[in-house]
Amino acid sequence: MARARSLPPKLSRRTFIQRLTFFGGGVVLLGGAACKRSKEAEAPKPAEPTGTTAAGQTLRTFSAFEYAVVAAATERLLPRDEDPGAQDADVALYIDHILETQGLESMHRDFLQGLSALERRAQRMFQKGFAQATPAQQDELLAIFKDSPAGSGEAHFFELLMTLSLEGFLGDPSYGGNKGRVGWRLMGFDTVGTLAMAPPEGYDGPRCLRECGGHHP
Amino acid sequence: MSLPSVDVCIVGSGAGGAPLALELGRAGFKVVVLEKGRHYQPKDFVHDEILNSRRNFFMPLPWEEPHLVRQGAKGRYERSNAAWTANCVGGGTVHMSGFFYRLKPVDFRLRSTLGAVPGSTVADWPISYEELAPFYDKAEAELGVSGQAVPHPFAEPRSGPYPLPPLDVHPVASEIDKACAGMGWHALPTARGIISKAYKGRSPCAYCALCGSYGCETGAKSSTLASLIPNAIATGNVEVRPGCMARSIEVDRQGRAKSVVYLDKDGVAQEQPAKVIIASATAVESARLLLNSTSSRFPNGLANGNGLVGKNLLFSSFGGSRAHFRVSKQKAARPWLTDPAPFVNRSLQDFYVMPDARHGFRKGGTLGFMWAHPNPIYAAVGLAGSGKSGVFGKELKDRMRAYRDSRILEFEVYAEFLPTPGTSVTVESGVKDKYGIPVAAITLDRHPADFAATRFLVERGEEVLLRLDPDSVERVGTQGETTILQHGTCRFGDDPAASVLDKHCRAHEVPNLYVVDGSFMPTGGSVPSTLTIAANSFRVAAHLVRTLKG
Repeated sequence: MARARSLPPKLSRRTFIQRLTFFGGGVVLLGGAACKRSKEAEAPKPAEPTGTTAAGQTLRTFSAFEYAVVAAATERLLPRDEDPGAQDADVALYIDHILETQGLESMHRDFLQGLSALERRAQRMFQKGFAQATPAQQDELLAIFKDSPAGSGEAHFFELLMTLSLEGFLGDPSYGGNKGRVGWRLMGFDTVGTLAMAPPEGYDGPRCLRECGGHHP
Repeated sequence: MSLPSVDVCIVGSGAGGAPLALELGRAGFKVVVLEKGRHYQPKDFVHDEILNSRRNFFMPLPWEEPHLVRQGAKGRYERSNAAWTANCVGGGTVHMSGFFYRLKPVDFRLRSTLGAVPGSTVADWPISYEELAPFYDKAEAELGVSGQAVPHPFAEPRSGPYPLPPLDVHPVASEIDKACAGMGWHALPTARGIISKAYKGRSPCAYCALCGSYGCETGAKSSTLASLIPNAIATGNVEVRPGCMARSIEVDRQGRAKSVVYLDKDGVAQEQPAKVIIASATAVESARLLLNSTSSRFPNGLANGNGLVGKNLLFSSFGGSRAHFRVSKQKAARPWLTDPAPFVNRSLQDFYVMPDARHGFRKGGTLGFMWAHPNPIYAAVGLAGSGKSGVFGKELKDRMRAYRDSRILEFEVYAEFLPTPGTSVTVESGVKDKYGIPVAAITLDRHPADFAATRFLVERGEEVLLRLDPDSVERVGTQGETTILQHGTCRFGDDPAASVLDKHCRAHEVPNLYVVDGSFMPTGGSVPSTLTIAANSFRVAAHLVRTLKG
């Protein structure tokens, strides 16, 4: 299928998702490898909410429309079957919140650009929005993005979507995802004594992300 | 604007910088430690994978402070955060797993042992194992190491037992012992920089499942943050300044180091004068600091008149495999599979040096066995894969369910990383970090013998795994490098034309400049080097205290 419009070239970067070989551990950082920090400081984000979900949750990054697309896409990556899926875990809400993190401005921009490219492609292929397409159509389109050449905007967006979905499914619930710890249960994070080591009730991951290490003695 | 002068200014607070700070402080010298990262407290160490492992808690973000990495001189540089260890007080020792091996006598005379190796700049050390051994004892005692020495064909001599008994291990350790013995090999207990009993006011290990890559909230991990730094500060002579990024080391008219210029936590440039200046910022970052410290006296970088700063960069050769045990299938026969004990602590060193080169190498290395890291996001990203081989949807969830039903035993290889003329670090003036400082640029040009050795060791490890009769064995790779283990770049030696530092880690060209991290090592050895870096720092500290006291 001919591509009427490809993503802008600044999206054509290799996604940076790398394992650093820690002993016995995987430390993975995520973002755009070739991202150059723009010369001017990023414009401050609007503090006001951008919309609400159908369930009434306040959105910080996405419009209600964008949220619906993200919710539909993440549910195809992690569909509900005999076990809970992305929507059960509030994965899209996690992505909405995490993209507001300071330092992730370029990821925020890349994600929104990739999202509108996904929506445009759905309109072109199916004459309807991504959220209104059938699950089979959604899978077809996501597979096109996934299989796009490494370094393309489509492949970059798919990697961002997948990685953030897995963070939202399997990260600490205080970030807004992994609701009811359904992701941890699916991966058996509670079977080897690990769940007991997870942060305690009341822990606020997003706050630590903002303030971590501010304690100078 | 210059701050009051001190006796010693140390850049970095990890395995290289902290022992010096402690010993110099004890001896009564005024010390300032500049640390670019934060000073975490135990309460900052929570088992939150997103915070700890996926953002800039330890590692800088690659678009703020990249390293440039390329394969070969003709390769294209990629921005990466590879070859950072950690940005915090305590450095890489804070999140390490703490595999505290010693080098072996052969590692100090590899050139003599192997003879000339075409394509490699392998060199003997100017000191022997026997000269470093007392400082291994000292480092083990000060940091707190748990282990058990057993007889072995390549066992290095020790003056006595470890300061602490070995940590409790998972029952699979005795299965590995049996498998190795069945092949005539010797499974060894892996010594750990984790205290198994209360020690010097610190609480023992709580056997949590999330150890390596996390900071330890109980302080049982023998990071310099938990062990040496508090004692150094308690001397009243050592000030640790977090959030301070060293930009350059300045020299006076005589070519002596006079001060460190750094950006403080508010981004304000400060100048800290000192009688002695010590770079302890990791092999890559110390070389970067020297190369960025240009002057009319040292136009190519401080102490770099012979052009060797940044050369002979070494990492550790990496390879590994994983054995998957399906719990539902195997639990009845092997009830121990579901035992939650986190430590395996078994190593194999029967192939440390080979008698001949029939396999394409002579210097081999170490295999360390461990359970796969339980970080679930990390695991799931691996299960999803990427590109055309990547999966999503039901296939991904099926893999996640299979993962839940699995225990994954793996080994990692630490093999010799031979020095080559091409593997080096330089600075790239056109690429600056968020502080405006030119970044380190790394070129990898691996020696083929490294890959032969790593492959051989991975194959031996797989033989052990297969003897345990797992459901499957999956090879992770045979051609990697562990960039968190870094050495070279300012090798020490007796010949000023062929080395940057003398045997006391003092720059040949600058009499009051020392480099004390992994930079001094002409060869990296075939074990993780953290303990060696700390032991050498204690050795240099003893020399420096003697020298400064005159």
